[in-house]
Amino acid sequence: MSDIRKWFMKAQDKNAGAAKPADRNAGPAPPKKPVLSIPEKPAPSLAPCDQDSSARRKSSKYFASKTEKDSNVKEEDTNAGKNTGTRLSKRKLQKNSDELEDDIKPLPATKVHKEEEEDDDFVARSKKRTPVKTPPSKKLKGASNAEGHGKTIDLGDDDDGEDKMDEDDKTLPSKATGRGRGRGRGRGGRGAGAANGKTSGLDDDGEEDRMDEDAKTPSKAAGRGRGGIAGGRGRGGGGRGFMNFGERKDPPHKGEKEVPEGGPDCLTGLTFVISGTLDSLEREEATDLIKRYGGRVTGSISKKTSYLLADEDVGGVKSNKAKELGVPFLTEDGLFDMIRKSKPAKATVAKLQSNSSSEKQQKSPIKSSPVKVGRRDDNQVTMSKNIALKSNKENASINNQKANIVDRGSLQWTEKYRPKVPNDIVGNQSMVKQLHDWLKSWDEQFLHSVQKGKGKKQADGGAKKAVLLSGPPGIGKTTTAKVVSQMLGLLAIEVNASDSRGKADSKIEKGVGGSTSNSIKELISNATLNYGDNRSKRPKAVLIMDEVDGMSAGDRGGVADLIASIKISKIPIVCICNDRYSQKLKSLVNYCLLLNFRKPTKQQMGKRLMEIAKKEGLQAQENAMEELAERVHGDIRMALNHLQYMSLSQSVVKYDDIRQRLNSSTKDEDISPFTAVDKLFGFNGGRLRMDERIDLSMSDPDLVPLIIQENYINYRPNTVGKDDSGVKRMNFLAHAAESIADADIVNVQIRRYRQWQLSQAACLSSSIIPAALMHGNREILEAGERNFNRFGGWLGKYSTTNKNIRLLEDTHSHILASQQANLDRETLRLDYLTLLLRQLTDPLKTMPKDEAVQKVVEFMDTYSLSQEDFDTIVELSKFKGHPNPMDGVQPAVKSALTKAYKQGSSSRVIRAADLINIPGMKKPLKKRVAAMLEPAEESLPEENGVASAEGDEDDSSDAENKDELAPGDTKPKLDLQSDKKKGIQVQLDLKSSGNVSNAKKAPAARSRASATAGKAAGGSGAKRKR
Amino acid sequence: MLWVDKYRPKTLDKVTVHDQVAQNLRKLVKMENKTWKIDTGTRTLELELVMLSSAHHVEMNPSDAGFQDRYVVQEVIKEMAKNRPIDAKGKRAFKVLVLNEVDKLSREAQHSLRRTMEKYSASCRLILCCNSSSKVTEAVRSRCLNVRVNAPSEDQIVQVLEFIGKKENLVLPAGFAARIATQSNRNLRRAILFFETCKVQQYPFTSNQVAPPLDWEQYVCEIAADIMKEQSPKRLYAVRQKFYELLVNCIPPQSILKKLLAELLKKLDSDLKHEICHWAAHYEHKMRLGSKAIFHLEAFVAKFMSIYKEFLVSTFG
Repeated sequence: MSDIRKWFMKAQDKNAGAAKPADRNAGPAPPKKPVLSIPEKPAPSLAPCDQDSSARRKSSKYFASKTEKDSNVKEEDTNAGKNTGTRLSKRKLQKNSDELEDDIKPLPATKVHKEEEEDDDFVARSKKRTPVKTPPSKKLKGASNAEGHGKTIDLGDDDDGEDKMDEDDKTLPSKATGRGRGRGRGRGGRGAGAANGKTSGLDDDGEEDRMDEDAKTPSKAAGRGRGGIAGGRGRGGGGRGFMNFGERKDPPHKGEKEVPEGGPDCLTGLTFVISGTLDSLEREEATDLIKRYGGRVTGSISKKTSYLLADEDVGGVKSNKAKELGVPFLTEDGLFDMIRKSKPAKATVAKLQSNSSSEKQQKSPIKSSPVKVGRRDDNQVTMSKNIALKSNKENASINNQKANIVDRGSLQWTEKYRPKVPNDIVGNQSMVKQLHDWLKSWDEQFLHSVQKGKGKKQADGGAKKAVLLSGPPGIGKTTTAKVVSQMLGLLAIEVNASDSRGKADSKIEKGVGGSTSNSIKELISNATLNYGDNRSKRPKAVLIMDEVDGMSAGDRGGVADLIASIKISKIPIVCICNDRYSQKLKSLVNYCLLLNFRKPTKQQMGKRLMEIAKKEGLQAQENAMEELAERVHGDIRMALNHLQYMSLSQSVVKYDDIRQRLNSSTKDEDISPFTAVDKLFGFNGGRLRMDERIDLSMSDPDLVPLIIQENYINYRPNTVGKDDSGVKRMNFLAHAAESIADADIVNVQIRRYRQWQLSQAACLSSSIIPAALMHGNREILEAGERNFNRFGGWLGKYSTTNKNIRLLEDTHSHILASQQANLDRETLRLDYLTLLLRQLTDPLKTMPKDEAVQKVVEFMDTYSLSQEDFDTIVELSKFKGHPNPMDGVQPAVKSALTKAYKQGSSSRVIRAADLINIPGMKKPLKKRVAAMLEPAEESLPEENGVASAEGDEDDSSDAENKDELAPGDTKPKLDLQSDKKKGIQVQLDLKSSGNVSNAKKAPAARSRASATAGKAAGGSGAKRKR
Repeated sequence: MLWVDKYRPKTLDKVTVHDQVAQNLRKLVKMENKTWKIDTGTRTLELELVMLSSAHHVEMNPSDAGFQDRYVVQEVIKEMAKNRPIDAKGKRAFKVLVLNEVDKLSREAQHSLRRTMEKYSASCRLILCCNSSSKVTEAVRSRCLNVRVNAPSEDQIVQVLEFIGKKENLVLPAGFAARIATQSNRNLRRAILFFETCKVQQYPFTSNQVAPPLDWEQYVCEIAADIMKEQSPKRLYAVRQKFYELLVNCIPPQSILKKLLAELLKKLDSDLKHEICHWAAHYEHKMRLGSKAIFHLEAFVAKFMSIYKEFLVSTFG
């Protein structure tokens, strides 16, 4: 169930996410033209970039080599902040980051650390720099590309500074260049203009690419807004809206044209926007094609857009804007031509260059594998002492690099490039900041206030003594915790799932030598003493409890113990988990400050991956890295592992490589059943591949079918076509319903007989067939219903049914116990109930009060019906749309009935076991609630007394019973205990049928029954009977 | 006390309806060393007498345990059967175990039952009761003495009703008892219950008085009317809610389907009757195989709607 809750939460998140962008949209459009004057420009729509920049600025600040540009930008930013009130939050953030910087700077430890870092890299960098400067060829290429559009920007040139300033997007890369350690090298690696042009657009790219996802739904505006926000929020919500509003037509000549092959990177630096339906390519295919050749595809037109790719002028927003901005149109054929043209030209260029630069040579062949092999051979040859033959400097340097890598190769990249300072952490900077603040203020907040006495009860948000980091795997939670504590000079003690974390021995004096938990206890309780002696020298400690959601079977009582530890702890505790909504952590959550880590965006990740690839001497395309980032769904660790693996076999990583490699081994995505159903039933549901459908319906094999069953009626199948009378749709519905019913049978086989090999069949008939039949637009059937998929109603109804059956069974056993009737439960419900109800309620409605009450109580006594049975009978006779059977019964009569029943209870013969109160077994709580809900009885004080009497009725009557039965009371209890060794199910049955049978035994049988009481079904019942 | 219970025969001698069967049973009781299986067409009053006539018995309803009934049979029943009670005289020392609703036992439970029946027959007698022997496996059936108790004929029911009327000093209008007998569908218990309901509703009886329908039957009738009136997804959705309402109120899905079919057949064109019956049987079968009754009920209604709509469109255009 906890999972369900999670999905609901997610859905809310989504809604919230969707709601916000709407506000955003109100903001004015991005700057129309490049304005040359520096300070004025920032439009709110660029806000996310600012946010980004502030985050990055932290990093640049971190190093002494802060460029002048940075400060410029900052001023500018603050100006902008003053100008636009809406950006208050951003300013705050910026301020925060300033604070952070202040905090960081004075710390010597980190500084030293950083210096080490630089030393470390120094050699490597100098080597890497050399290739940077040399390749004139690259520049040449860039230039050749630039001919068409003049997009190339050399960031290195100060002349361009102005240019960058006026376009906010471009200022960002300038900051990137200032980015400390990676500065010179990073740029160098990217080298010449072409690549640089791309870098410059990176952040902007971030927004637009995300929008591109969104653009699949026509609600582009919302998409854009969301994109803006998401910069800070990660891509959790993503482009998976609840609905796909419409469907793009199929390309008219789909698959008829041959897709040309071109030179590598022939589209580098170009930005495309695709609009409308293309002639032969699907939208995704076109995107792929462009990305493969190094181009960028964005979702909306800006002045940086090179071409609008469209085959027909649909006159939409995009084309209008393109005309406005003067962006040239390009048809699909034009694109093909462009690619085709580049091919020979590139080839010659490549040939020319191959002499001078083997690096170039590595770049030119893209796909043809023989060439690749050749190249690799080539490398190997060079490796094997053939360097002398190659006069080329770059080659040498590359080989050196490779040697370098081999030296350090024993280290996994994930370890090697684990962030060393907080600013290296990709994404989630605000979380890092929060954690930092929390750790920093911990001492004052808790240690000192505790000394003062009751300071613990401070009500502010920081008052939690522990912190819980949560988020999907591989996004750097543990790293964050470690790095931040390191930065603050705290000694981090990590305890993870590999340690036993069971409940600590209650006697801590048993020693530290015992279990880990003992030592934890030791640790947290003694910490004060440690640095009480010599405060200055001893490092303070912080406890990192990793993988707390993994505390399970082996670690009995682990969470409870952890909470206890938090309460008494004298050091900060950082807990880390993946699933914050896990049932196990429910109690822990209350004691922790919750920090939810989100997946970094693919741009953030792509950037980092590029840096690493550069350091490792791996040539990687920017969009290849982003693709990788996307494929692993934000898991940096996994991305790095993939990258390292790929580096073993190739030294150039291209877009296509990533696509091919990860096509098979994509990371499983965690999608909610609602999303899965949306996809299956969506307008494009018919296009999914079979394995995709199976994956979707298997994402939760329990809930997906239920949600489908609940909602399939609502869909208007788009495969039906014209269907005036609705006959076809009805046919489809019947088919779908039949299939769902089949699935139920298969499920019985699976669950009852453990035939799990049938699960594919179950998923086919429960989800895929109905979805295949019914997918289309959703429509509402009831007025006022929201047009979203409902949660399956079956679960709720099922549990209500079971509850009612239980109640009915109680009544049934009472009736049997009265020895007046002999019937089974079904008969009771089907035949008796109508008459019983009449006998119970009709007198109350028609006859005078006292007489009626007397008659009803008499009747109830005859069948030994209790007050609850009365309620059960009334409850079971209620049908929606029919009048309530209790209508017309005066509240006064009702309470009189209760009173009368209660009075009679002292003299009543008790025939059924459960009418006796066994202490601690039955709490008539629900009755009390019912009494409180009764509005009529609360109005008058007199009746109020009655109401409470009704509420207490069970207690008191039971108490009386107890008195009456006092001597025999202990025995049934004993029997119940002795029965316990049997299985639960059996015991349940014992209870019901046992009562029945014993109650029916003739008195003669009683002695016999008690003789076998220990074992026989309900010996206890017989004795309880009086 | 309800009349059904008030006028229930307390001994075999007083059985009025199935006196032939009762005679035989009485003889049988004297021998009393057989496993009986009592198979009633429709459960009627007489059935229970038989059980009552044996003084020392334990009655249980193992099928209540759902799909885990096997364990009840394996553990509880076996446990009870195994222990041989000691009689003071040292004679006739056995127990009687009455199992209700044997036809609802799962196949596994029935399989485990048959061994128990044979092995402990010395110390334990089993009386199995069921509504339909077709759902009891051959293996179990062959180990039993089958006693079939037919549903009483309408004449017999009328007799009983008149007997009760005389005892209660009621004046029955002519044809009144016969009408109730017809309405009860040859179920004596229901007939008596109807009779009393009429009494509660109105006395003295009027000549054309009809017993009010049972609450759930009335609801099923409404569903049937809904279905006949409109065949659309919207209506299907509404019907689903009503089905849920019935199920929540503990109405067995089989009864719902049966009643629904009966109601539909009343109004249906005779061309379709056969087909609809076929589908009803089809879905009832599936319902027993499956566990989520609502799916099958809904599938039946969807099927019906689809067939009926097609029929309407092809007939009336």
